[in-house]
Amino acid sequence: MNDPHPLSAAIIAGKRKDVPELVQACIAAGESAQFIVENHLVPAMAIVGERFKNNEIFVPEMLIAARAMKEALKILEPMLVEAGVKPEFNAVIGTVEGDLHDIGKNLVAMMWKGANIDVIDLGVNVPPAKFVEAIRDNNARLVGLSALLTTTMPAMRETVKAIREAGLTPKIMIGGAPITHEYAAEIGADGYAADAGSAVDAAMALLKA
Amino acid sequence: MNRQYYLDLAASGLKMPIGTHLVLHEHADHEIIPNDGRRLGGVIEEAARRFRCPLALPLMDLKLEKEALLLARGIAAAEIDTFHFTETPGGDWDIPLTRKMDAVCEAIQYIARETELLPVGMGIGPFSLMTKLITDPITPVFLAGDGATADDEEEVALLERLLQLASKTIRLYLNAQIQAGAKAIILCEPAANNVYFSPNQLDESYDVFDRYVMDLNRQIREQLRAADVDLIFHDCGELTDGMVSRYAELDPAMISLGCSRLLWEDAALISKSTVLYGNLPTKQFYSDELVSIAKVRELSDQLLSRMREVGHPFILGSECDVLSVPGYEQTIKAKVDEFLKAE
Repeated sequence: MNDPHPLSAAIIAGKRKDVPELVQACIAAGESAQFIVENHLVPAMAIVGERFKNNEIFVPEMLIAARAMKEALKILEPMLVEAGVKPEFNAVIGTVEGDLHDIGKNLVAMMWKGANIDVIDLGVNVPPAKFVEAIRDNNARLVGLSALLTTTMPAMRETVKAIREAGLTPKIMIGGAPITHEYAAEIGADGYAADAGSAVDAAMALLKA
Repeated sequence: MNRQYYLDLAASGLKMPIGTHLVLHEHADHEIIPNDGRRLGGVIEEAARRFRCPLALPLMDLKLEKEALLLARGIAAAEIDTFHFTETPGGDWDIPLTRKMDAVCEAIQYIARETELLPVGMGIGPFSLMTKLITDPITPVFLAGDGATADDEEEVALLERLLQLASKTIRLYLNAQIQAGAKAIILCEPAANNVYFSPNQLDESYDVFDRYVMDLNRQIREQLRAADVDLIFHDCGELTDGMVSRYAELDPAMISLGCSRLLWEDAALISKSTVLYGNLPTKQFYSDELVSIAKVRELSDQLLSRMREVGHPFILGSECDVLSVPGYEQTIKAKVDEFLKAE
């Protein structure tokens, strides 16, 4: 396996302070923002996700890698906007009503961004109506619902119901500590991810189906 | 307190869930009861009698301390749940008990005065409370574990200041519960786990875990010892052996762990003067696919059998507070009843 590009390596290692200079070096070498995202950031986060799935790294390492990626996006996003480049997919994500936990949701949002999905993060304790509004306003292709407590799982059911009753058809993915494939099927969600490491693969499987 | 009390409970074959939430939610006005100390005490007593448990286990509400700290800081009640500090708060301020904290103390008084049950208090641990006070506690913990100090990183300075404030708030609340008559305190550190501390980093050194979790919990242990109150230590998160060993060094009367741990293996890390409690996967009891009644029976039998083999004092129970989930109440209760029947 080839050694990763220095920018990718810095992201994988979470070396946030090294990232701006490395991004500028890529730009100076003639690489477009889109090229940098697709060839250095996305592969870096894919490696991070794989290592997390293999228990080689854990949540803290994922988080600092994502933070380093965000440092790169601070420079690249304005350039992408100016060039009219948009991610192929977009997603709305949030923790359902009554639940304030956000670590898992934040990690999934970061991994989706790292996979070049445009993510609208609604935060925590999000009522069904707010999900519906955000999906409609952004024509979201994918929705991520997170819950950490068994007591807030029913809010996932209500949110899925509200989305469907509004006539909206994004792919709905759920996740969180008490969540299972079976529960996803029971409430009419399209998919489920066991953790942030598998959230990208699960999202892409739904989006490209 | 006499530690033999807990060892005798274990030897008696006691089985008990942390089940006050289940019983509370059988009451139509369950949202009001936590504000009414006398009624809360009644529910705690009801749960103890339902589950034939001599310990009056409190309702596990780990939001009370954040509320008290922030209300005292002048944060509006409506903002408390989602409020996070973004700048290091200077100065010092008094932290009065909240209405719910007063109700908890009144409930403890009721149990102490009106029943023969052992009054038990509860508090969140300082590290876990700190994680509720900032948006991202994981990064500064990792940076500190890599050697960053408060002088190097503002995030680390913020985290360490919040740990101080968390500890102050918790100790005030625990003192109030002790004054109300609590004879044991369940100290809950669910966030001190592998999500917040990288096992890779801990393989190099436990320094950051010792500084951010153990030092402050040792101070609380001393506070309880000085008041002759027993420590029951609870952490249902995914843990390393090093974390469990350190919790054992607090010398608690009981340690309560989550279902990711094999208690018969953890017994080797813990003195026989500390009772092990748990650790059925009660967070999954809502799902028959994940944990059927037959599986509950199987896991209960396995735990009882393996703990007898290793000869460690043990009380069969839940990995955490057994929450009442709307629509799944009967499913969950049936499984609690099942493990209470295990021999």
